[in-house]
Amino acid sequence: MKRRDFMLATGFAAGALMLPRMSFGAEGVIDVYFTSDQNVIDFWTNTVKPAFEAANSGITLNLVDGGDGAGVSAIADRALAALASGSDPQADLFEGFDSRVTVDGIAKGLYVDFEKAGLSNYSKINPLAFDIPTNLPYRGSQVLLAYDTTKLDPANVPKTWADLVAWIKANPGQFIYNRPNKGGSGGNFVRRAIFEANGNDPTKFSVDNYTQESGDAMLNPAWDILKDLAPSLFDGGAYTSGNTQSIQLLSQSAVTMIPAWSDQTLSAIAQGALPETTGLVQLQDLGLPGGFTKLAVLSNGANKDAALKLADFLLTEEIQSAVLTELGGYPGVSWDHVSAELRERFADIIPTTIPTFPGGDWEKAVNDGWYRAVAPNVDPAS
Amino acid sequence: MTASDQIGSVTPVRRRPYGLLLVATPVLLVAWLVIWPIISAVIQTVWTTTPQGQGAVSLDTYSFFFSDGYSLSNLSMTLWTTGVCAVLLLVVCLPIALYLRFSNTRVAVYVQGLAIFPMFVPSIILSFAFIRVLGPNGTVDLLLNSVGLPHIRSPYLTPWGPVIGLVWDNIPLTVLILLSGLGSVSNQAVEAARDVGAGTLALLWHIILPRISNSILVAISFAVLGIFSAFTLPYILGPAAPEMMGPFMQRTFRELLEPKTAITQAVVTFGFCIVFGLFYVRSVAKNRAA
Repeated sequence: MKRRDFMLATGFAAGALMLPRMSFGAEGVIDVYFTSDQNVIDFWTNTVKPAFEAANSGITLNLVDGGDGAGVSAIADRALAALASGSDPQADLFEGFDSRVTVDGIAKGLYVDFEKAGLSNYSKINPLAFDIPTNLPYRGSQVLLAYDTTKLDPANVPKTWADLVAWIKANPGQFIYNRPNKGGSGGNFVRRAIFEANGNDPTKFSVDNYTQESGDAMLNPAWDILKDLAPSLFDGGAYTSGNTQSIQLLSQSAVTMIPAWSDQTLSAIAQGALPETTGLVQLQDLGLPGGFTKLAVLSNGANKDAALKLADFLLTEEIQSAVLTELGGYPGVSWDHVSAELRERFADIIPTTIPTFPGGDWEKAVNDGWYRAVAPNVDPAS
Repeated sequence: MTASDQIGSVTPVRRRPYGLLLVATPVLLVAWLVIWPIISAVIQTVWTTTPQGQGAVSLDTYSFFFSDGYSLSNLSMTLWTTGVCAVLLLVVCLPIALYLRFSNTRVAVYVQGLAIFPMFVPSIILSFAFIRVLGPNGTVDLLLNSVGLPHIRSPYLTPWGPVIGLVWDNIPLTVLILLSGLGSVSNQAVEAARDVGAGTLALLWHIILPRISNSILVAISFAVLGIFSAFTLPYILGPAAPEMMGPFMQRTFRELLEPKTAITQAVVTFGFCIVFGLFYVRSVAKNRAA
């Protein structure tokens, strides 16, 4: 053997030995990356992981907190590069993820198409939750109004959109919602205004019916509603930059009412971040919309089949019921597919329909349109 | 290498390649991780594919940016914030630096510790602490109310929110750079000026400022570069619109899924930052020559 070849060979061997073991996607270990908050990861650790591992011996879950959407989409970008080079992406499943985020990811086949994946529970999914075939919805939650009962008597709390608008105008500075792209609580408040401007009919919006013209025709009236509200909002038209900041303003008693996620508010009250005197109310004419959390499975992951098994497992009655009881969320499957006992127990609290607003082009139009039409009308120096 | 090279390396002239070798790693890294992404970003924004599948040079994304009122107001907001922050930083930090340079008391040690402290506070924590302290019904409000003063109008969610946060965040670096500049002002020069009857202002204007003008320039360039592309503080503390370029680029990229527009915004931002970068490079070069 020539000296150069020898050096190369030993170099490779030494390099391989030095590589940390974790750097290979291990056989039988599903690497799950989360964009969701700690309460969701806790739910997986305490409920999903033990149940799945007990049902599938030899397969274990490695749950990794990806930080936020940007953190996980960076891992997805790496997986796309791995797909091109035929190497191991070292990841299998992304939780709380929209596969559209990876530029060219869907076109290049990075994500499993769930319509063709043959999941036995796929047909149980709530029809409202479907987005695109590479996103699998598995849990949902809804936005409601959280308010300070010491300042607003629960008997007088607004229960329709018209009452809410009247209340906001009668109590200037006591309401704030966050920027629609920075958190679902404000995002879904804005979407509720869009429904209001379109006859309270969520079926008018679907993931594939956005066009520039229909977008302008349907969204511009909603921007007018929101612009009309702006001077009566906190600080004459300020918008927080996230769900948490809105909750902080409510807890500092700076405002009286905010839109908030049901599960986030309940846990904030439980942890003392919001006082016990916080009241919750849902609009009765049409609820504030909710959303479904989706996941994506990598087509080039080392444990793709096991990850699909896990995705199917998440849609079983066992886990979907636990989403209700343990996580405080809503099931991703239709209500017919959770146990009858639970269906009865939650019937009063949870409406049988959650208005949903499609993602994709509509979401883009909302995120762009609100910033251009509603937000700048606020004079920052006012 | 040959033996003659090694012998030759004793002479100063032949030693030069070794020096270049020593800097080769950082230079290559900068070329690979900084220069190349810049070039590739510029190419991506000007190179488009026509419907016929042919490549063409087009400045559409730039003409959109510079004709779009919303983008322009974001840009001018960024310039305003950067300018105000730079002025405030100088106003706040120069007295601190002067005090630290000319005071030998024990208090100065604590002041220095306090001035450097913001360096160790992550900006996300600073943001939420800011809401707690300066936000509506925050600590300042409660203290004022307790002595019967009215509510302040909170800077939270106004353009002044990020300004206060960014100034606080940039104090350590600015103070340190100014302090190192003040090291070149000798005590003798100050005493000599005092002996001939120079007042405090004359001393500052004629003796101290000319000697630290370079440091001021460097400090301002550093602060401006950081502030121009700041993300966390403007995002959490600032108004929804107009946005600063940092949150604007992030939103365009992540939520509008328009990478090309986002890169265009980044190139425009870079164009402004490079001006201050050149200031810095020029002042370093001047220093080396001197």
